[in-house]
Amino acid sequence: VARILKSCYFERQVHIPDGFLSTPVWATLDAAAVPAVAAVARRAQRGFDDGRVPLLGVMGAFVFAAQMINFPVGVGTTGHLVGGALLAFTLGPAAASVTMCAILAIQALVFQDGGILALGANIFNMAVCGVLAGYLPFRLWGHGRFRTAAIFGGATLSVLASAVLALGELLLSGVRMPGAALGISLGLFAISAVIEGAITVAVMNALEAIQPGMVRAPARRPWASTAVAVAAVMLAAVGVLFASTAPDGIQKLAEQTGIGTRATALVGTPFSGYQTAFLQSAWMRKASAGLAGLVLVYGACLAIGRVARRRRSA
Amino acid sequence: VDRWSRGSSPLHRRDPRAKLAALLVFLVAIATATQGIAILAGALFLLLAAALLWARVPLTGAVARAALVLPFTAAFALVCWLAGDPARGVALLLKSYLSALAVLTVVATTPLPALLQALEFARAPRFLLMVGQFLYRYLFVISEEAQHMAKAAAARGATAGGLTENRHRFRGAAGALAVLFARSYGRAGDIHRAMLARGFSGRLPALDTFRFRTADAIFLTLATLLPVLLRIAAARIA
Repeated sequence: VARILKSCYFERQVHIPDGFLSTPVWATLDAAAVPAVAAVARRAQRGFDDGRVPLLGVMGAFVFAAQMINFPVGVGTTGHLVGGALLAFTLGPAAASVTMCAILAIQALVFQDGGILALGANIFNMAVCGVLAGYLPFRLWGHGRFRTAAIFGGATLSVLASAVLALGELLLSGVRMPGAALGISLGLFAISAVIEGAITVAVMNALEAIQPGMVRAPARRPWASTAVAVAAVMLAAVGVLFASTAPDGIQKLAEQTGIGTRATALVGTPFSGYQTAFLQSAWMRKASAGLAGLVLVYGACLAIGRVARRRRSA
Repeated sequence: VDRWSRGSSPLHRRDPRAKLAALLVFLVAIATATQGIAILAGALFLLLAAALLWARVPLTGAVARAALVLPFTAAFALVCWLAGDPARGVALLLKSYLSALAVLTVVATTPLPALLQALEFARAPRFLLMVGQFLYRYLFVISEEAQHMAKAAAARGATAGGLTENRHRFRGAAGALAVLFARSYGRAGDIHRAMLARGFSGRLPALDTFRFRTADAIFLTLATLLPVLLRIAAARIA
């Protein structure tokens, strides 16, 4: 068991497959990911020529390929770069976020690594929160004396944040975990996060040696993105505290929200009257509520996009 | 998968948009199942197997390929089992495996560019989709380069060993990765210049546009109704 768990956690980040998350969890996260991805894509596109497209694509391919270069870790074991933080330091957070989104989509479609319905959750964990959380220390302390520490901390934080978020989502979905397993996996996450930090620092140093000027100095960004990054870090921190102090509480919560009132709790509230009218069985209600929620959010995004475009062209 | 997706069966010729919609319905049907999962999983597996055979995709290869999800799921299923909830563990295994197989069925019958084009029809940001296309196109090029580097390093004796030599190996690997980073960065610039020379105008031209035919409509109706009906039947039986 330990061996399997270890290989899972060391090999890669947690890509949640389909079938793990309960309907409200994946539906909410998909809904949250749609506007986030749109915003990030727009920001990454802004102020750059179309040379940005091949650059991000090829750098995404680089992150894939980086898995093939093994770093010796401890005795006889190897680890590899995850890359979100490295991309954020070199390309900027928005571009890194878009690249990670593309990576996750290709992994889900072509390599069966992570699910399609869970894609929103994975994007939220790794491409949005992971990248932003990793960029935060670099933005704050990336200039001065603590530069190396900022890089290390950022890379560590990015892996830790996305792993903890994934764990939290799994627990919310009612995947049961005894306290011991939870502790072990948190420990493994921490170890792999520290490994990522060390690798990122080493690669950044080597990169500056062979090609100075490749690493961006952190630009003065508007406060909005900082606020989002802080929120991502806080979310992760709260997740850690929550998970470490009260695993039973989470289980109870998962029992309550997970089985009894799954659909009505989060997604289904606006549709409660509508569904009882002609849909009888429980799962139909759930499925239709979930789908209706998705459609609603999708429609809202489309409408907002239309209005924004019209206003800009006017 | 890439080779499979270039076939020419009736399933290959269906509109990618219809296939995506059907996939979504299938995934939702299985994700929301709570009762009679074993029966449902069996029926849906037969459905997918029939689709794969119809598309003349090698069945054993596809079934083995979708099993890539199993190690991750198995770990969690084991934890569930140890926590005294074996039914939930089995459900996790079946659900994640079938979802992966369904995605594989669609990807194995649709070339990735067409799939991304269909996503653009659903108003996904075009910038992101173009990045995805480039990623997929250069994935194997850069990976091959990385493999060459790893092989060269191994030829010089860089295998994981004692603690004393590990520091140097760690630094060596970091150097290799940095070189790979710089090369990829340079390659991206070259690609962009080559694209500009060929008249790149900010969007990738599509070779063929989609046409939604009667056969597509029939396929869409069947492919969305079948999983849902099976789902209802399984819940009745259980």
